[in-house]
Amino acid sequence: MIQRVNPDLKKYLVKYGVQDWNECFHCGNCTAICPLTDQGFLFPRKAIRQVQMGLKTSLASNFDPWLCYYCGECSETCPRDANPGELMMSLRRYLTSVYDWTGFSKLFYTKKIWEFLTIIILFILVIASFVVWFPKEQIANFTTYIGDHSFLKVIEAGDLIMAAVVAFVLISNIFRMWYLTILKPKYKVPFIEYFRGIYVLPGVFASQISFRKCDTDGRLYWVNHLLLMTGYTLMFILVVVFLPKFQVSEVYNWYHWQRLLGYYATFGLLFGLSAMFIGRWRKKSEKFKFSHLSDWLFIIMLFLTTLTGILVHIFRLADMPYATYYLYIIHLAVLVPMICVEVPFSKWSHLAYRPFSIYFYYLKKAALSKQHKSKLAAAA
Amino acid sequence: MSFQPTIVSFLCNWCSYTGADLAGTSRMKYASNIRIIRVMCSGRIEPTFVLKAFREGADGVLICGCHPGDCHYHEGNYKCLRRFHLLQKYIKQMGMDEDRLQLKWISASEGKQFAELADSFTEEIRNLGPCKVKEVMETLT
Amino acid sequence: MEETRIGLYVCWCGTNIAKMVDVENVAKEMESMPNVVVSKDYKYMCSDPGQDLIIKDIKEHNLNRVVVSACSPRIHELTFRKALENAGLNPYMFEMANIREHDSWVHTDREEATRKAKTLIAGALNRVRWHESLEKRTVDMNPATLIIGGGIAGISAALEIADSGKKVYLIEKSDKLGGHLLNVDLTYPYMYSAQEMIKPKIDRIENNPDIDIFLNTQIEDLTGYVGNFQTKISQDGAEKELKFGSIIVATGLRAFNPDSIKDYDYANFPNVITSVEFEAMLKSGKILTKEGKEPKNISIIHCVGSRNHDYHEYCSRTCCMTALKYSNQIRSALPDSHIYHAYADMRAFGKGCEELYTKTSGKDVIFLMYDQKNDLPKIKKASVKDKCEMLIELNEKLSGESVEVAADMVILMVAMESNDNAKTLGQTVGVSLCGNEFYIEKHPKLDPVATTTDGVYVVGSCQSPKDIPDSVSQARAAAARILAKINYGTVEVEVTTAVVNEELCCGCQTCVCVCPYTAISYDEEKNVSVVNEVLCKGCGTCGSACPTGAIKCRHYTDQQILSQIEGLLSKSLELQEV
Repeated sequence: MIQRVNPDLKKYLVKYGVQDWNECFHCGNCTAICPLTDQGFLFPRKAIRQVQMGLKTSLASNFDPWLCYYCGECSETCPRDANPGELMMSLRRYLTSVYDWTGFSKLFYTKKIWEFLTIIILFILVIASFVVWFPKEQIANFTTYIGDHSFLKVIEAGDLIMAAVVAFVLISNIFRMWYLTILKPKYKVPFIEYFRGIYVLPGVFASQISFRKCDTDGRLYWVNHLLLMTGYTLMFILVVVFLPKFQVSEVYNWYHWQRLLGYYATFGLLFGLSAMFIGRWRKKSEKFKFSHLSDWLFIIMLFLTTLTGILVHIFRLADMPYATYYLYIIHLAVLVPMICVEVPFSKWSHLAYRPFSIYFYYLKKAALSKQHKSKLAAAA
Repeated sequence: MSFQPTIVSFLCNWCSYTGADLAGTSRMKYASNIRIIRVMCSGRIEPTFVLKAFREGADGVLICGCHPGDCHYHEGNYKCLRRFHLLQKYIKQMGMDEDRLQLKWISASEGKQFAELADSFTEEIRNLGPCKVKEVMETLT
Repeated sequence: MEETRIGLYVCWCGTNIAKMVDVENVAKEMESMPNVVVSKDYKYMCSDPGQDLIIKDIKEHNLNRVVVSACSPRIHELTFRKALENAGLNPYMFEMANIREHDSWVHTDREEATRKAKTLIAGALNRVRWHESLEKRTVDMNPATLIIGGGIAGISAALEIADSGKKVYLIEKSDKLGGHLLNVDLTYPYMYSAQEMIKPKIDRIENNPDIDIFLNTQIEDLTGYVGNFQTKISQDGAEKELKFGSIIVATGLRAFNPDSIKDYDYANFPNVITSVEFEAMLKSGKILTKEGKEPKNISIIHCVGSRNHDYHEYCSRTCCMTALKYSNQIRSALPDSHIYHAYADMRAFGKGCEELYTKTSGKDVIFLMYDQKNDLPKIKKASVKDKCEMLIELNEKLSGESVEVAADMVILMVAMESNDNAKTLGQTVGVSLCGNEFYIEKHPKLDPVATTTDGVYVVGSCQSPKDIPDSVSQARAAAARILAKINYGTVEVEVTTAVVNEELCCGCQTCVCVCPYTAISYDEEKNVSVVNEVLCKGCGTCGSACPTGAIKCRHYTDQQILSQIEGLLSKSLELQEV
């Protein structure tokens, strides 16, 4: 298919953080040094070229950016300081908005004011709903009322609605990703491969194993990311799926599974977030050199959620109902916008796109190898 | 061992000798039967030189000059061409195979062509077998 | 006659020769050849100690002939001749056997290569026996210079020579001086105005009493030799004769006509223009399509007629940078336009050029690489919905994608090619053409200004595509060479000329017919041919045509060559029998 060269695309991509695209003269050092480069998949050079030429369709069908974990080797090696690593990062933001059919992602990334506004509105909405609906007389014994069945029912309902909406948006976007990367470029994937490839999904998701290849200076980033990811996922499952078991009136012993899991998740979140925060603050390693507003927002929101969650826990143990109540409101007021904005439309969405990109990558390779084999057979 | 012919080759200084030098600097390999004699221009090559070479035992004689139009001395190679045709006729009349004498154009940049020519000419002369001129002349005298 | 005493030296050339030829064995065996007094092998004969070895031996052993068997005589013959001269021997008492380029480097069997080396040396030994002493000769130098071509190269050379107070005849075929520079707006990489550079130079030329300018002038005929040329020129039909000692050919180039490239369809698209036309547009100050509109999308296609086996294989050298210059000028004139380059390689060598590339690539210019050997871009008419006039389709090499580019104006960076009369003029002045129809210099690396005809120099784009600084430096280098010769007053001429033995000459005049330099004339009184030794270049064609053997070609005499054949073959057969 012939694509039109579009010189204006890269000007638009600047809003997603794309910069220095001009410097690249395609020496290929980035591809050579990349620990993830595979035969026939020449990232990041190929993606840079697509940006330079403004090839929208090619970019949309390119899931290479999701395969990259930003070790920063390419940017360090680049003789022209074209920052290929950061370009891949920016393209992940762009692709998030490409997959998202609702248009919110594009809106949030390109017009920051809307992201802030949405967060603030959701924040106020949560607080307002507490002010309006919460029975005032229960504030004094909130430390036990927090696990009360009648209260929990409301919270759980809200929880599930939110989870359903987020899941719907994410899953439909993953289907769009599949359409754009596999179906539209007409890769003929043998049907059986869809099942054969499915095993990669939970494995890569749980172990973050591909990340390890990119740990060029020790394994810290991988451990970091693994802690953060498992902490976050665990906490997500606890508060969404097992809320009645997690948020209870009774205070269990410290070695109870519910508390141990909660502590692990909190530790993972805190550790991972602090490392990221420090990294972005100091800008020493390549991967933290450039921070888009969405990166900061994501860290701060999650950090605040974690912090308020910890405080709620402490005040509750200290038997301070008022403090517990107000912090619980703030906790939810930060948590709700974080999940509604960040998870489906912004940085958090990578938890879905990354494992699926590896799955699609598997499918694409299968399609290409079949094509190659049939070509050889035809030649023979 | 198969017959190893002795070949004398006259090359003009400006094109063909330089071309043969290029074959050397490019480390191309060719049959070692050829012995090169340098003249300034292919126009300098007298019939006597060729006949002398056969008389002294050469099995083949290869003359190389600049391509038509490229002669350093404008037209020496044309003169050579005319003499060559006559000379070929002459050696044929003497009872020799006319293919033992050949004229080819080799420019200064045609090292590869020279190496190939050296090989193919050697092969051709090898197929023709030894030239008996020297033997015959010695018996006659 | 004195006894012949030959010194033979076999060079190792490090391992270059010694690896494939048993040099020690060769030196030992050849010592027994007749007249060989000393036979030695040495690591590097061309080195100072190697030469000193020869000089010492000449004095010690009273040698009067030397044979060095080493590399090609085209490389070191002059070096060893000089060594002989230093030892008080005539430099022509020397012969080289080429056992490197013609032996050790091209063969693989050590024994066979060693045998071949011996036969080549035997030939050289036999030949050198008949060598004779030759003396150098000089002629006076005419201090005037003829410069053909009034472009920037010719103008620079003319000013350089005339500023030293020497006469210059400047010949231009058109009606004004300045050449292609007259049509140029700005020059890369520093964006100097071409007109501001060339105009003052033309003024200076016109006001310099030492420069005679001939406009609308053609060269009819040229005779003579270095130091003493003469020519007939015709100016507007009137003929004139000039005499001078040196010639500078500065005839420049012409632009390639892109009509022959079907994919570009230059003839039918009004807004597909050549770089020459675009330059004129820039000079006029307005970038407009043929319809008079400002173009939104401007595409520049590189290597039009260059670096392609169907047109010219060479690189035209200046188009990449000119195209970058265009980008800068377009960007200043039309800030909102889209600029695309369809290029094959970006060649930004030279001072300030890579910087220009970096600067330009920062101005939102899109570079698209195509395969100039097999897959040229195609220009097509666009439909209404494309919102542009033309579309360029190309397979982009760096991304591997097939893309199309919108275009309202396409600039073809056309190749530089040699002038259509390059061949005839070359024949007139005695300069040959290379495969690309440009004039050949004497040596591509070490003597890029002179030609194989003494006294004739080629400068500027008639030798190969060049930019302004290269043309100017070449022109001034030629001027410096000529001034040095004028200053010296005399020039050395060829020694290895032909000479007529009047006793043997029958006056048939065959030699007069074959001489390409009209160096042989017929003396009616004596009924013999006479060689003008200044005109003779020593090709030897007369020698092989002479029916009576009256003409001797110095240093390539019948005796010398026949002996070489004899020596070579007898050794060959001797070794074969063993």
